[in-house]
Amino acid sequence: MAGLGDLLGRAVLWPFVLLARLIDLPLRVWQRWTGIGGMAAVFLAPTLLIFGVFVLVPLGLNFAYAMTGGTGILLGERPFVGFEQYGRLLECEDYTRRLTCREDQFWTAVGNTGVFVIFQVTLMVAVSLITALILNRNIRGRGFFRAVFFFPVLLSPVVVGLIWRWILQRQGLLNLIMVNLGLDPQVWLNDRFYAFAATIGVSTWAHMGFYTLILLAGLQAIPRDLYEAAEMDATPPTRVFRRITLPLLAPNLAVVLVLALIRGVQIFDEVYVLTGGGPGTSTLFLTQYIYEAGFASILRNPGLAAAASILMGAVLVVLTLLQLWLSRRAEGGRVR
Amino acid sequence: MGQITLRGIRKSFSGVDVIHGIDLTIADGELAVFVGPSGCGKSTLLRMIAGLDRPTTGTIEIDGQDVTRTSAAERGLAMVFQSYALYPHMTVRQNLSFGLENTRMPKNDITARVDDAGRMLEIMDLMDRRPTQLSGGQRQRVAIGRAIVRNPTAFLLDEPLSNLDAELRGSMRAELAGLHDRLKTTMIYVTHDQIEAMTLADKIVVLRKGVIEQVDTPLGLYNRPQNLFVAGFIGAPNMNFFNAVAVDGQAELPGGLRVAVPGNGPVTIGIRPQMLHLADPDAPALTGTIRLIEALGAETVVHAAAADGTAMVVVLSGQPALRTGETIRLAFDPDALHVFGADGQRLD
Repeated sequence: MAGLGDLLGRAVLWPFVLLARLIDLPLRVWQRWTGIGGMAAVFLAPTLLIFGVFVLVPLGLNFAYAMTGGTGILLGERPFVGFEQYGRLLECEDYTRRLTCREDQFWTAVGNTGVFVIFQVTLMVAVSLITALILNRNIRGRGFFRAVFFFPVLLSPVVVGLIWRWILQRQGLLNLIMVNLGLDPQVWLNDRFYAFAATIGVSTWAHMGFYTLILLAGLQAIPRDLYEAAEMDATPPTRVFRRITLPLLAPNLAVVLVLALIRGVQIFDEVYVLTGGGPGTSTLFLTQYIYEAGFASILRNPGLAAAASILMGAVLVVLTLLQLWLSRRAEGGRVR
Repeated sequence: MGQITLRGIRKSFSGVDVIHGIDLTIADGELAVFVGPSGCGKSTLLRMIAGLDRPTTGTIEIDGQDVTRTSAAERGLAMVFQSYALYPHMTVRQNLSFGLENTRMPKNDITARVDDAGRMLEIMDLMDRRPTQLSGGQRQRVAIGRAIVRNPTAFLLDEPLSNLDAELRGSMRAELAGLHDRLKTTMIYVTHDQIEAMTLADKIVVLRKGVIEQVDTPLGLYNRPQNLFVAGFIGAPNMNFFNAVAVDGQAELPGGLRVAVPGNGPVTIGIRPQMLHLADPDAPALTGTIRLIEALGAETVVHAAAADGTAMVVVLSGQPALRTGETIRLAFDPDALHVFGADGQRLD
């Protein structure tokens, strides 16, 4: 059996061994020529190539498109218009009244995204924290509940949107239950308030497992001794939470907060499937506006979409820098 | 006051008994050390006294009052953890005052107590630092300070020096002994290090597999171990043991040397490595072949194999001229022998 296993192992490894032998000589020559520093470039090259093709080139193209006008798709067919697309997005007669803005839908999307982010992130952090605190306790079926809360994270956003549309639509599961309970059915997804609340609730449900996991890891990293020392010191539970748990969880909370903010600003797929941005434009968020401006509207304007995406990107860069700063600060203050 | 009494303490985890009925009294002001190998239940016992774990059966009394069902907070005890358990986000001063703030003590009193402890432990210049900015020894002092400020009935110390290097451990050991002399408060100290136990304790409790093997003073344990386990555990290097059969009050050691022993039948004869010395050329002797010589300067540790193959260690003073492979002839004072019966219990 050992002989057969050995043979199988060799058969599987054979192509890799051949490849290694083939590149061995060129690599030796390269190393002799460039020194050991040059080898780093060789090993980084594949990743840099992928990063360049799928990130840097599209990013550059996006900047280029944002400087062009017209409805053409190919860059060569599009006239150069400078910063006109940015001007169009940001032009308003009265910034307190979005209808006076040239691209009022952009401002609607910005406003909706802002409100969404404030409520969704607050709810997300609160729910994730409470869930993590409960799952951190020695409760019966803890493993099962951890899986249950994490399960939605594994679902595709489109599936999440569809599930909840089936639940919330006019003849959906929720209304069926309400009718059976003798209550009046509601038009959940056709009411501005309910639809907006649904986007917040559904996105929180879909992503909270991920944030709960981060917070749970943070809670479990707090040494049990600290709680026992607090117990010996007759510390009331609320004070333990306020003075020990929260400060020691702060780095994880900061990461969760910023990641949730970034994700909140980027919200698109599940909301697009759930409400399509409606009713009207009440759940139109920034990413959907960009998508529609560039690809889905009758008068598609890739330049406008590119400019809007760059503005959104700027916000995300600020949030990412904030996250990096918080992570490094947390790293610096971590218990050694 | 700080007398702690344990009566019939048993503890099980998931049906597995780890403490098998402990009865013990620690007098007020005494420094008792729980010592034993890993898994012997010493930390579990300490945690039950602290109130962090509940005994399955039995009672714990502090100054005659049953506190078995009393919470840790209400027992008036203070604990120093192996990991120090300092709050990493608080300064040393905040760490020291945190427990006192829970008692709603006036701020001025808290400051006074914290300063007193700080001066006693010479950590006043560290008060504004965080634990991450302290060395191991400094953290240890802060952890002790946190216990001191609460003015507890008794201190419980769970392997407090195990994270320190050997040199620092030695100096902190002396400081702890000095602290106990000054405070005169009951201390229960858990360690697996017999040197810590021997140097610190008024009373040592030797534990094995959840059972007390012997309770005695350090020298009492060293001079009259009640069983083979204690004899082997206390003392460094370990005691030498020779199996023999006693007939008419006599047993033969490897090499043919006969010694007087109490009782008859199979016995184990123990003798500490320091109690052996080189025998005169013509005198009867315990013999062995030298396997290894560790010359330490002031003393020489000789590892040898007795005639029957039993390993033995000898600590000789000075630097005797010995060579590996030679036969070593050893003599001893018959009073230095420890004789244990087939059940492992001391015979005399």
